[in-house]
Amino acid sequence: MDAQERNEQTRKRALFKSATEPLALVGVIVILSIVFSLSNSRFYGAVNIHTILEQSAIPLILGVGSTLVILIGSIDLSIAGVMGASAMSFVLLTPNTRSPHDHGIVAPIAGILTGAAFGFASGYIMSKFKVPSFVVTLGMWFAGQGFATILYGQTATPYMTNKNVSGWSPRLFAGIPNAFWAAIIVVILGFFILNFSKLGRASMAIGNNEAIAQTAGLKIDRVKISIFTLAGALTGIAGIIGAIQLGSGSPDVGKGSLFVCVPAVVIGGTSLAGGRGGVLRTILGVFLLTILNDGLIVSGVSSNYQSGVAGLILIVAIIFALWSRSDKSGVSK
Amino acid sequence: MNLYRSKADIESVPGTPILSLKNIKITFGDLTAVNDVSFDIHEREVVGLIGENGAGKSTLLKILAGVYKPNSGTIELAGKSVKFRNPLDSLEAGIGIVHQEQSLFTNLSIAENLEFVGEGKNKSSKIFRFFNWRKARLSAERALEQVGSKLDPRIRVGDLPFIDRQMVEIAKAMKVSTVKVQNPVIILDEPTSLLEVHETDALEREIAKIKEIGSVIFVSHRLDEVMRVCDRIVVLRDGQLVAVKKTSEVTARDLFQLMMGHEKKSEVRSYERRHQGETPKVELRGAGKKGKFSDINLRLVAGEITAIVGTNGSGREEVCKAIYGVDSFDSGSMLVDGKEVRHWSVRTAITQGFGFVPAERKVEGIIGGLSAANNISLIFSDDIKRGLFISPKKNLASAKEWFEEIDIRPRVPSKELEKFSGGNQQKVVLAKWLKSKELSVLILDHPLRGLDPGAAETVNSLIRQAAANETAVLLLGDTMEEVLDIADQIIVMKDGQATGEFDLHVDRPTTLDLLEKMV
Repeated sequence: MDAQERNEQTRKRALFKSATEPLALVGVIVILSIVFSLSNSRFYGAVNIHTILEQSAIPLILGVGSTLVILIGSIDLSIAGVMGASAMSFVLLTPNTRSPHDHGIVAPIAGILTGAAFGFASGYIMSKFKVPSFVVTLGMWFAGQGFATILYGQTATPYMTNKNVSGWSPRLFAGIPNAFWAAIIVVILGFFILNFSKLGRASMAIGNNEAIAQTAGLKIDRVKISIFTLAGALTGIAGIIGAIQLGSGSPDVGKGSLFVCVPAVVIGGTSLAGGRGGVLRTILGVFLLTILNDGLIVSGVSSNYQSGVAGLILIVAIIFALWSRSDKSGVSK
Repeated sequence: MNLYRSKADIESVPGTPILSLKNIKITFGDLTAVNDVSFDIHEREVVGLIGENGAGKSTLLKILAGVYKPNSGTIELAGKSVKFRNPLDSLEAGIGIVHQEQSLFTNLSIAENLEFVGEGKNKSSKIFRFFNWRKARLSAERALEQVGSKLDPRIRVGDLPFIDRQMVEIAKAMKVSTVKVQNPVIILDEPTSLLEVHETDALEREIAKIKEIGSVIFVSHRLDEVMRVCDRIVVLRDGQLVAVKKTSEVTARDLFQLMMGHEKKSEVRSYERRHQGETPKVELRGAGKKGKFSDINLRLVAGEITAIVGTNGSGREEVCKAIYGVDSFDSGSMLVDGKEVRHWSVRTAITQGFGFVPAERKVEGIIGGLSAANNISLIFSDDIKRGLFISPKKNLASAKEWFEEIDIRPRVPSKELEKFSGGNQQKVVLAKWLKSKELSVLILDHPLRGLDPGAAETVNSLIRQAAANETAVLLLGDTMEEVLDIADQIIVMKDGQATGEFDLHVDRPTTLDLLEKMV
């Protein structure tokens, strides 16, 4: 066999593998959708589809950030707290029941910068003081929550008064809710950064083997800090959208989001060990979780049973979806 | 300690060296890893660096790579003294290293791997640039071409076989060094230890290619190979320089003696049959596994060493794994002590007295984070129990005995196993099995891989000893010489089929006889 032929064969095999791997997950999503549509035709209605799209916006945006962070072999647990901080910064700068001043574009920028600042802090502390990201971001969660609570203060909840802003998320543009448009832009951005920037490729390298990256002379700290800052900014965007969907400022806007975001990334096929996976896969993970959640509500499963049923379906779905990429050595962690 | 120094036997070459080490010394705590070592490397020269595991080769290479800073001594490049603060400095100075451990990102393409070489030396903001795939691919193609490889740079490194990865490693080391430097020095740290014999030819051609543009420091345990490729050979022992020799003026035997400080024991092997007509411990009758091997007949007899030889992909590794219960057979039958087995698994294999030493020592053979003592007692721990619990004291004491018996160094059984050198790790792996009183079958997959001749000698004598203690040994060797030296029976495999069988009590096959059936 000559070199050319061997090259071809290796590439074809790899391409086939990467193309077929997500198929199982797509299959699971299709099956779930069919089952839910059969149990209630409303599931398939335009209204519900808009709901699903709008609901998936925040986990998608967070998912992109988390995917990048997980790919470098770290984890960001701070998203719930940072979302609160960003949301409060944003709401207090838009016209609200506490202050009618309209700061215009400054408000969302402040929200995003707040998130970026927390992300930068996590990344900086982690790489300069050599502390595991798990611990740093756990602390940053509470720091963000604390920052938000201070802004929230003792006075009454700040409700948004500008209907134009508070109604933004579900409003349709070209038949798709604004929030989802935002998510699409973020996904494209994330995909682009990961695959076509040095930062993205360096992240994959670091996630695969940090020691090698070091000897290759990659600026590891810089990459990590940049990725955490970027993820923080995305968390900021998610916080702003969360506040808009809520119509008011609340430190708890991000409550529970961590438990959607990280599983979505992992279900999508990004390895928690770092270096393996990608942004587009996370979309599948997010859709699986959002559809599952929405479908159970629409099918009228009693709220008492919802969590339990969701959990069971999720486990079965994951076993099925991950079948194709089970570890060859049979080791699971 | 000056004893060695005064004895050091140095043959120098005229002319200005491009790289020279002067009185390099480095200590770790009380341990002096490298002591007062000096030697030169000239333009277009291949210099061999040999020594036992722990002789200080790796440490010396790490100093050259800018990983360690020497306590004293200087490194001079083309006559100018240099200080390497980090790996980058050394890369930029034109010293490229192909590490013993693979240093490629397996999740990225060849192009990306080559693109990230020496990345950080570019100015700070580079990381925020676009990644130019086209440019990366073209420059990778050029780098590969330089080392004579025709690999497609878009292939993911993880999808490549080992030999091809080695080529990428070399291309990578070359790429850095040829960017700016006139006379690059490429360090190959045991590049052949994981290659099969016939693959090393390719590597030797590589070295000849590198020699056209720079110099090479070649570290290897295979003395015959060192003799073939090197112009001069530097010998280290216990962190000291013992000799620098022109290859034309030494023999492999001399080198062995210089390395070890004593002569090689030339054991005249006996071809006497020790056992006759016994029920074999393990017998395969027409065993097969779809797509891997088929119709394999094999008898492992107590007290005998049976070797399987074959190239990569001959299926011999799969046969071993199936016997040990990691994989399964799907045709034919396997008999243990004359009885056919049905439900075979690793667990049952171990209870029947089977032991397995895998090839990938770091991944499959040891638990690096555990102490050497705990690795030894991993499977058989009856002797160190006190009641229901394991007694740490007995554990250490028992491990100490093994450390003495088979000379595991340093004598610190409580140290994490990953901190030992390869040869000593392998001894620990063997001790783990030899410990069992009921060891009846020992399967060895490349037991000498990456070991220096001294350690290899010890491991071989352990294997012989195991056989003498009525264990049936199944061996996959690295080299045919190794196999011919130790085996009682040799089975040759090719493409999943047994193509030849030699009984060394009767036949005396040569390497060529074996090769003929292999390829």
